[in-house]
Amino acid sequence: MEQYVVLNKNDFDDFIDILAKLQKLVAPVKRGEKNYAFDEVTSSSEIALKYIPTILPPKKYFLPQNETLVEYNKKQNKREGTLYSEPLTIFGVHTCDLAGIQCLNIVFSDRPMDANYNLRKKKILVIGLECNEYCDEYASCALMHNQYPNGGYDLFFTELENKFIIHVNTLSGEELIKKMGMIKPASEEDMKGLEQLRIKKRKIFKPEIDISYSNLHPLFEKSFNNDVWNDIGNRCLSCTNCTNVCPTCYCYDMGYDTDLDMNSGSLIRKWDSCQSRPFATVAGGESFRPERAARQRHRYMRKFNYAFDKYNRYFCTGCGRCSRTCMAKINLKETINTLIKTVKAEK
Amino acid sequence: MERAVLLKSPYLTYEGKILSAKMIGKEEKYFKIVLKGGRLLDFEPGQFLMVAIPGVGEAPVSISSSPSQVGYFELVVRKVGTLTSAMHKLEEGDQVGIRGPMGVGFPIQILEGSDLLFVAGGLGIIPLRSLINYAIDNRRDFGKVSILLGCKTPENLLFNDELDTWGKRLDVNFSCIVDRAAPDWKGNVGLITSLIPGVNLDSERTFAIVVGPPIMYKFVIAELLKKKIPESQIYVSLERHMKCGIGYCGHCQMGGIYCCKNGPVFQYSKIKNNIEAF
Amino acid sequence: MRKKRIAFFDFTSCEGCQLQVANLGEVLLDVLDIVDVVMFREVMSEKTEDYDIAVVEGSITTPHDVERIKEIRKKAKVLIAFGSCAAIGGINGMKNNFDLDEIKKYVYGKNAGYFETIKTSALDQVVKVDYYVYGCPIYPPDFLKVLKHAIQDIPYTTKDVAVCAECKLNENECMYDKGIACLGPVTKGGCNSWCINSGNICYGCRGMVKEPVKNGCMEVLNKYNIPVEWITSKFNMYNKTLESEDKK
Repeated sequence: MEQYVVLNKNDFDDFIDILAKLQKLVAPVKRGEKNYAFDEVTSSSEIALKYIPTILPPKKYFLPQNETLVEYNKKQNKREGTLYSEPLTIFGVHTCDLAGIQCLNIVFSDRPMDANYNLRKKKILVIGLECNEYCDEYASCALMHNQYPNGGYDLFFTELENKFIIHVNTLSGEELIKKMGMIKPASEEDMKGLEQLRIKKRKIFKPEIDISYSNLHPLFEKSFNNDVWNDIGNRCLSCTNCTNVCPTCYCYDMGYDTDLDMNSGSLIRKWDSCQSRPFATVAGGESFRPERAARQRHRYMRKFNYAFDKYNRYFCTGCGRCSRTCMAKINLKETINTLIKTVKAEK
Repeated sequence: MERAVLLKSPYLTYEGKILSAKMIGKEEKYFKIVLKGGRLLDFEPGQFLMVAIPGVGEAPVSISSSPSQVGYFELVVRKVGTLTSAMHKLEEGDQVGIRGPMGVGFPIQILEGSDLLFVAGGLGIIPLRSLINYAIDNRRDFGKVSILLGCKTPENLLFNDELDTWGKRLDVNFSCIVDRAAPDWKGNVGLITSLIPGVNLDSERTFAIVVGPPIMYKFVIAELLKKKIPESQIYVSLERHMKCGIGYCGHCQMGGIYCCKNGPVFQYSKIKNNIEAF
Repeated sequence: MRKKRIAFFDFTSCEGCQLQVANLGEVLLDVLDIVDVVMFREVMSEKTEDYDIAVVEGSITTPHDVERIKEIRKKAKVLIAFGSCAAIGGINGMKNNFDLDEIKKYVYGKNAGYFETIKTSALDQVVKVDYYVYGCPIYPPDFLKVLKHAIQDIPYTTKDVAVCAECKLNENECMYDKGIACLGPVTKGGCNSWCINSGNICYGCRGMVKEPVKNGCMEVLNKYNIPVEWITSKFNMYNKTLESEDKK
C-alpha cells in the first residue's frame, strides 16, 4: 500500500539536523547571484528550497567528474579494480533530475556491467522535491512528462501550505522515516491537499512546445539534414557547457595517470564532451565530427532520436540547463520549434 | 571515502608478455604476445584489443593474426599517438596490459563456402590479415579467394614475406597496387579502385571485405556495386576514436551505434544509411 | 637507468613560473626523486652544460636571446617551453603593438642606442619545442603531467578544450551571467579554471583553442552588450605574439 507521511515545516530544521548526522548530506545551495549548486549541508538554513536547476545536476554524485577505476603498482605487479564511495543522502532533487538519474541507471545497467556506477548508486539515498511552479522560461518539463514524480526516489517531498507531504517509496525511505520522531502519518485532509496541488499544477504545467511527446522522435528522425544545425553550428563556441550540465550526458574519457614515483598510479575516468573537436578525433589525426553543426546535431539526436530507439525513452528531461548555460543562447525550445516549422514545410 | 576492491571490472587488463618485437615498416612495429598464466585469447578475425601501458595510456589495436594461429597473437602498430609511441619502445620480455577481445568481428559463419574478395588499403591490411590467414588456414571451407592490396609506395608494404606467399599460391589471387613508385617498381601503380573492374567474380556468391582509410570506402564500394555484388555481401571494418571499448564512453559513436561494440565490422547494407558512417 | 638531468633557463620573463616549481613544497621532493635538477637559478648556484631536459621560461626578445636559445636547443635532448612567455610569447608580446625604435626610446631614453631589440617571439618561432607548459604562471599539476611525459619520452598534447569546460565542472557562476567579459570560451583549458575559481576572469594566458569561432564570439558579445574592444585589449595582453605570426 502506498504510504504518505507529513512533516510540519516547524520541524524541518530538526529533520535536516538529524538527516545530516546520519550520513553526508547534500542539497541545493545558493551559488552567486542567479545560480544554485548541490553541495554538502549540515543545517536547513543552508538549503535553498526554492531553486532553479543547479549548475550541475546530481549526476555528479553518481558519476563523479574524476573517478578512479583501476589502481596499479608495477613493482608489486598488482592491478586492482577500485571503487571509492561513501554513503550519501541527496535532498531536494527535482522531478527533472530524478528522470535524469533514471536515464543514467538505464545506461549503466548494460553489459559488461560498470561496477563502479552500480555499486556507488546503492550507497545513495535520494529525496525528491516537487516543483509547485515553473523554475523559469527555459524548462520544458511538461513536454517531457517530468513535471510530476515518476519514481526514482526513496522519499519524495511536496510542499503544502505549512507542511511537507512525503511519499515513502522504498524500504530505505521507510527506515529513514522511522528515525524521525516528528514525522506523522498523512491524514485524509493532507491527501486532499496533495491532490488539489496536482490539479492546480495541471493548469500551470502545459507542454511548452506545440508538439506531442510521441511526435518528437519522428520529428528528429526526419531532421538530419535540416538547416537548423548549420545555424546552431555557426553560433556554437564548443565550450562544452551544454553537455557538462546535462543530467543525461554521460560520455567520458579514460586515462592512465602515473604517480610521481613512476611506479604506481591509476586509471581515471573523467567527464568528456562530444562538443569538443578532440572527442571524435583518432590518434592519426582524422576527426570524425569536425563541424560544430554535426556535433550539435549529435547532441540533440542523442537526446531525442538514438536514446528513444534504444531505450524507448527520451534523454531530455526538460530541465532547461543546456539553454540556460549557453553563452551563445542556443535554446532547446527554439531548436525544436524551428524543426517543427521547417520539417513540416519540407513535406 | 571508502576504498573497495572490485572483483570484476571491465576496465581491468590481463597481463600480456611480448615474445618478440620488430620493426616491419618505416613506422610500424610488430609484436608477438601471449597472455600470462596460460590464458588463451579467444577471438574472431576483425575483433580488436585495448592495449594499455600503465602510466602512459590505452588505445584500441586490431588483432592481426588469425585465431587459427593458436598459442600467441600478433599486433602491428604505427607510431601515431602517445600509447603507440610508448609501445614502440617495448621489446621482447616486456609487458603490456590487454583488455578484450572487443567488438564484433567478421562473420566467418556467413562467409563459409562463399568466394571472398578482400580489399585492403594502407593499414587496413593489419586487421584484414587476420581473416585472410584464417581463410587460407581453412582454405577448403571457402570458394575463390582474391586479395586486392593498395598502399602509398612499395616501401609502405607490410608483411612482405607473406605477400610473396599469397602471390605464389595457386588457390589465392593476389594483386597489389601502389599510389606512386620509383621506376624500378615492376608492379601496378594507381588507385586500388582501378583493380576492381578487372577481377573475375561471380557476384552472387562473392562476399567483399573492405578495410582501409575512411576516404577509401566510398570509392571502393561504388566499384563493388558496379560489379553487382549485393550490398548485404559487403563487409567493412571502420575506425573511430575508442576509449572504453565496451559501448559506454561515446567517443566512437556513429549515429545511434557504437563502433566498438556494434562494430568495428559492419554489413554495408545495415549502415549505408547511417549519416555518420562514411 | 640514469636519472634525467634537468636544467632551468630563463629569457625575458618574471621567473614567476620557476617560482611555482620552487614553491611545490613536498611535491618538489618527490620530483627530485625522479630527476636530477642540475641548474636552477632560483634555488641553487651550480651551473653545468650537461643536461637532458631544458625547461625554458621566457620569450625571445633580443638577437642575443636567439643565439642563446639555439645553443640550449643543441645541448638539450628535450626542450620544454615553460609558461606563457615561452609557449605563446605572453605578456612580452605587447611590445609587438609598437614600433621597435619608439619603444626602445620609451624604455631606455637617451641610452636607447646601446640596446638591441627584436620583435617578441615564442620559443617555437625560433627553435623546435618538444613540450609545452602553458599559463601565467604555470599551473603546477599541469607541469607535473608534462614532466612525467617528458621523462618517459612520450608525446603530450594539451587537450584542445576551452577553459569553460573545467569552469563549469567547478560550478562557478559564469562571468557573462554577471555581464563581465571573460576569455574562457576561447582559451585553451588545463588550468582547472583556477582564476575564475578565485573570482577573477580568464585573461587568456594559456593561448587560444585551435579553432575559436569568431562569428559566434561576436554574437555573444553583442548579446551581453560587451564592447569588442574589451575583449581585444584583454586578448592582446597575452596573445599578441602568435597573432603577428599569423600575419606573416
